[in-house]
Amino acid sequence: MEGKIIVVTSGKGGVGKTTATASIGAALALEGNRVAVIDMDIGLRNLDVVLGLENRIVFNIVDVVNKRCNLSQALIRDRRIDNLFLVPASQSDNKDVLTTLGVQRVAKQLKSEFNYVIMDSPAGIEKGFENSVVAADEAIVICTPDVSSVRDADRVIGLLYARSITPRLVVNRIVPEMVARGDMLSHEDVMDVLSIDLLGLVPMDDQVVVSTNTGMPLVMHNQSMAGQAFRRIARRINGEADLPILVPSVRTGMWNRITQKLGLNR
Amino acid sequence: MRIDSMLNGFMKKFSGKKSSKETAKKRLQFALVYDKLEINEMTLENLQKDIVEVISRYFEIDTKSLQLEVQREHELSALVFNTPILCVKKNRGYSGNNT
Repeated sequence: MEGKIIVVTSGKGGVGKTTATASIGAALALEGNRVAVIDMDIGLRNLDVVLGLENRIVFNIVDVVNKRCNLSQALIRDRRIDNLFLVPASQSDNKDVLTTLGVQRVAKQLKSEFNYVIMDSPAGIEKGFENSVVAADEAIVICTPDVSSVRDADRVIGLLYARSITPRLVVNRIVPEMVARGDMLSHEDVMDVLSIDLLGLVPMDDQVVVSTNTGMPLVMHNQSMAGQAFRRIARRINGEADLPILVPSVRTGMWNRITQKLGLNR
Repeated sequence: MRIDSMLNGFMKKFSGKKSSKETAKKRLQFALVYDKLEINEMTLENLQKDIVEVISRYFEIDTKSLQLEVQREHELSALVFNTPILCVKKNRGYSGNNT
């Protein structure tokens, strides 16, 4: 097998990298792929809790890279989604503990065993970022529609181009009502400013917090708008390149309009 | 909620106030341009070395008192290189290496 390594990155912290990694990884597995999600945020691990696998950690990515265990010993199999595996980060080390050479070696092995390997990069553009992108075939840049996040995304996009990686963009946490009244950058505004292709648009969704609370992957909630958006992103990655990108919109269904007029809406 | 936001947009259109996203986009575009104009110390040093090398083929300059800086005004950036010329070299050639 010759899989693909995809890094999820953003520069700025707190824009939804980990949620995106977990969701895209889980969705790709639901599409029938063998998927490994790797937490590269050494010292501040979180992908394990987002996926609800924190109780099953024995070994981590640092152990694998530094040859304290085999890759298979560190892979945690998700019992709810077939073919989804996690390699957690170490919580006690710092980001300098990994070498790019070591990461490349493990990445090669991962590629031979999985269709997709999704690397959750830490915030920032230092060593941790380097280690996350060193073996990447593709990159997904996550940003939210605000000035600071888009600025940082621009910086990261530049760094990825310098490594000959052509990244694709996911705009996260879009609030359609705010976009409609002109108080939030639309995805068109973001695309005007950044030189990058669009991979997907994800609306703000309360369900993200709920699914992180419970450790149940977002894409398993069928009524979650964000979950659906991530599933479409996964399908686009998985060969359906022409799948249209849906723009999150203010709900205008007949029933919604009636209930809104009557003030019955939540 | 929705009627409220529509009303908001309406009011903004008539009161002639710019929406906050327009401000955001403008600020962002300027920030990105300025971010890219920022040159790090290493680049500036290397540039200075190269410029000195080229100029030294033609002129004898005082390498101690030269200045290289980026000057910024409103929408323009200029690279300013200041150096006293001591004398013009006579055998200024094309090959560069042995002048």
